[in-house]
Amino acid sequence: MIEGSVIEVRDLTVRYGAAVALDGVSLTVGAGEMVALIGPNGAGKSTLVNTLSGILRPASGRVTIGGRLAQVPEGRQMFPDLTVDDNLRLGGWRVRNRDTGPIYEVLPDLVKLRRRRAGLLSGGQQQMVAVGRALMSRPDVLAVDELSLGLAPLVVADLVRHLRELNAERGLAVLLIEQNARIALDLCTRAYVLEAGRIAVSGSAEELAASPTVAAAYLGADAPVIRASLKSLEQLEGRPDHEEEGVAR
Amino acid sequence: MSELLQYLITGVGGGCAFALVGSGLVAIYRVTRVVNFAQGAFAVIAALTASTLLATGLPHGLAEGLAVAVGALTGLLVGLVAIGKPGTPPGAALIATLGLGVFAYAVEVLIWGDQPRSFPGVPGAVEIFGARFQAHYLLIIGATLAVFAGMGLLFTRTDVGRALSACASNPYAAKVVGISVTRMGLVSFAIGGALGGLAGVLVTPIQLVTFDYDVTLIVGGFAAAILGGLVRPALTLAGGLLLGVAQALVAGYGNAAYQMEVALVLMLAVMVWQAARKPIVQEETA
Amino acid sequence: MRSRVVRWLPGVVVAAGTLALPPLLSSGHLSVYILLGLAAMVTIGLSLLMGYAGQVSLGQASFYAIGGYTAGLLSVHSFPPLLGLLAAPVAAALFALLVGVPLLRLRGHHLAFATLATQLILLSLVGQADWAGGAIGLQGIPRLSVGGYEFAEDISYAYLTWAAVALTLIVAHNVVASRSGRGLRALATSETAAAASGVPVGGYRLAVFALSAAFAGLAGGIYAFYLGYIAPGSFPVLLSIEYVVMAVVGGLGTLWGALVGATAIVLLIQVLTTIGTQPGMPSYAPSVLSYAVYGLLLVVVVLFLPHGMVPAARRAVERRMTQTLTVEKR
Repeated sequence: MIEGSVIEVRDLTVRYGAAVALDGVSLTVGAGEMVALIGPNGAGKSTLVNTLSGILRPASGRVTIGGRLAQVPEGRQMFPDLTVDDNLRLGGWRVRNRDTGPIYEVLPDLVKLRRRRAGLLSGGQQQMVAVGRALMSRPDVLAVDELSLGLAPLVVADLVRHLRELNAERGLAVLLIEQNARIALDLCTRAYVLEAGRIAVSGSAEELAASPTVAAAYLGADAPVIRASLKSLEQLEGRPDHEEEGVAR
Repeated sequence: MSELLQYLITGVGGGCAFALVGSGLVAIYRVTRVVNFAQGAFAVIAALTASTLLATGLPHGLAEGLAVAVGALTGLLVGLVAIGKPGTPPGAALIATLGLGVFAYAVEVLIWGDQPRSFPGVPGAVEIFGARFQAHYLLIIGATLAVFAGMGLLFTRTDVGRALSACASNPYAAKVVGISVTRMGLVSFAIGGALGGLAGVLVTPIQLVTFDYDVTLIVGGFAAAILGGLVRPALTLAGGLLLGVAQALVAGYGNAAYQMEVALVLMLAVMVWQAARKPIVQEETA
Repeated sequence: MRSRVVRWLPGVVVAAGTLALPPLLSSGHLSVYILLGLAAMVTIGLSLLMGYAGQVSLGQASFYAIGGYTAGLLSVHSFPPLLGLLAAPVAAALFALLVGVPLLRLRGHHLAFATLATQLILLSLVGQADWAGGAIGLQGIPRLSVGGYEFAEDISYAYLTWAAVALTLIVAHNVVASRSGRGLRALATSETAAAASGVPVGGYRLAVFALSAAFAGLAGGIYAFYLGYIAPGSFPVLLSIEYVVMAVVGGLGTLWGALVGATAIVLLIQVLTTIGTQPGMPSYAPSVLSYAVYGLLLVVVVLFLPHGMVPAARRAVERRMTQTLTVEKR
C-alpha cells in the first residue's frame, strides 16, 4: 500500500456472471485527497463503489482501504419509513456510534427535519441525510455515488460546499463518482475516466478539463452531462427544490 | 346482553392467539420476505414443551417462559435452514419452511405422541356485567397487549429494532451501512418463534393442542396478518381480534361447526379484495 | 433417426414395464402400485401448474376429493358407474373454474394460502353434509362396471389406473407441446413479458388450473371405486403437501419428473412403513418416519436440487455424454 493513501485498487476485475463489469482497474485516493471518477452510464462506476464498500466481491485484483470508508450510495437509498434521526443513527451501526449530535452541527439544515420520515423529504434533503448517515461511521474517506443526479444546481452547489468544508476542516478524503464531469472536475484535484469497465484516462483535474477528448466526450454541448444540467436548470426555474420527488428506492 | 359480552371477551381472547401468530409472520416477512409456513409449529412445540415442564413440577411462569425460549430457538433453527444458504429466493424458502413444518410433526409425535394435551392456566372464572368467562382469558388479553406494546418499543427505540426496520425498509441501504441482512433475518425468525411460542402457551389452557393444531393457527395467523399486507403489526392485531370475535359470534349465535369457515372466508375475501385493488403483477419477484 | 429412438426408448420401456408388472405383484404390492398411479396423475397436473403456470397449490387434494365424491355419490344413487367416473374430472374442473376466477388473481404465497383455505372449507363442509355421509364418510360405493364387465379384481384397477396415467401424460404432453404450451412456458418465466407478447395470461392460468384439477378428479374417481369408501379424512391437507413434495422432488414442469417424483416418494414411504410396522416398533413409528422424510426431502430438494431430480439427472447424463464425445473426437 502506498504510504498515506486511503483507497488503493490494483488490477480489479468484477464480474456479474459472465459479464465483466470492471476489467483490470487500478486507482488510488490519497489521505485528504478529493478524487473524481467520471464516465458514462454503465461504465462500472457503481460497481466500483459497491466493491470498495464490500457489498460486491472482486473476481480478481486487490482493494485496500486505509482507515474507514463510508458510502453515499446512488439514489440516496434512504430508509423511507424511518425518521431522519433514525437514518443517521443507523449510519453509525458499524462503529456503534449512536450520537447524531455532531452531524447536526455539520449539516444544520437537518435539525428541523430530524423527526420527519426520510421517505417524505425532497431529493436534496435526502442527499444531505445520506451524507450525514455516511459521516456517522466516522470515515476517513467518503465514496459519493452520483451526488448531483436529479438535483437542482443550487442544491448541488450547497452539497458541494459541505463536501469542501469537510475536506478542508477534517481532512476527509472524497471519491466522487459523477456523470456530471463539470461538477466533478470543479471540486476534485485529480480524476479518472472510466469507460466500459476500464480506466480510459487519468490525470489532474486541470489536465482532463483541458484535454480535447475528455472535453468532447464529457464537457461538450452534446455530452449527456450537459443536457442533464440544462434540464436541472429548467427544473430550477420551473419549480422550487422541495417540490422535487423525494422517493428513495 | 351479557351473552354478547361473553362472546366478545372469549372472541378477543381467541383472536389474541391469531394476532400473536400473525405478528410472528409479520416480523419474519418484513425482514426476509419469506412467508413462514412453520409459524404454527412454533406455537405447538412451545405448548407441548410447557405441558411437559409443568408436569415435571416446574412452577407456572418459569415453565411457560422456558417454552417460549424453546419457541425462539426453534424459530432460529428454521431461519437457519430457510435463509442461511446464500442466494435462496423467498419462494424456495417458503417451500423449505413448509417442509420444516411437516418435519416438526415427526419431532412432536416422537416426543409427545399424537394425543391432545393441555395444562391448567389461570384458575377460576370472572364475572363482569353478568358475563362469566374463565379468568385465563384476562391473562391472554393482557399478555398480548403488553407484547404488542413491547414490540412497538423494540422496533422504534432499540438499535436491533431499528436495524430490523432498516432491513425491512431498504435492504440495500442496510448493507451499505454495514447491517448484515441475513443476521437480522435470523433475529426476526427468533422473534417470530418467540411470538408463536407465546401464542401456544397462552392458548393451551383454553384449547387442547395436538401436533396438527398448527394448521388452524397458521391459517388464522395468516388471515390476521394479511389485513395489514403482512407488514403492519397493528393491523395484524386488529385482524386477529376481529377474526376471534367473528368466530365467537358465529359459534355463539350460529353453528360452532362453521367457526373455521369464518376465518377462511374472511381471509379469502381480504386477499381477493386487495388483489382487485392493485391488479398489477407484484409478486413476480416473490 | 438415432436421436428419435433415444427419445422414445425410455417411454416404450416404461410402458412395457407398466403393462408387464401387475400380474407379477402380490396383492399388497398391487395396491401400492394403484395408489402410486393415482398419485402420479395428481402430481402431473400439479407439476404442470407449478412449473408452467408458476403457481403453488396447497389444495390439490381438494380436487381429488371432488372427483372421489362425484363418482361415489353418483354411483351410490344408482347412476351408471361409468357416468360417475366420467363426471369426476368434469366436476373437479368445473369446481376449479369456479374458485379459480376469484383466486387466480392471487400470486405466490397468497395463492398458496387461498388453495389451502379452499381445501379446509371443502373438507369442513363435506364433513357436515349428511347427504355426503358427513364425517363418517360415504360407504358402499359399488365397483366400477362398464357394459357387462365389472372391475372386481385389484389387477383390473391397476390396468385402469395406469391407462388413466397414460391418458393424463398424453394430454399433458400435447398441451405442453402445443402453441399454448409455449405461451405457458413464457408465463412461468415472466408473467409481464408473457402478457406483453400477447399471451392471454389469465385464460391460460385458469385453463391449466382446471386441467390439473381434472387430472386429480379422474384419479379421485378411480380411488372411490377402488376402495369403495371415502371420507373427509381420506383427503387431509397433508395429502396436498405430499403432492407438492412429489412434484418438487421430481422436478417442476417436467412430465417425467412428476412420474419419477411420485414413484420415488411412494416407494420410499412404503419402505418406511414396512420398517415402521416391524414388531417392536412403537405404534407411531410409521407416521413419524413419513413426516420426517416428507419434510426433509422437501427442504433438501428445494435448497440443493431446486430443479428436481429429473432435470438434474438429465443434465448429469448430458454432461457425461458431451465428455464422452470429446474423448471420442480425440
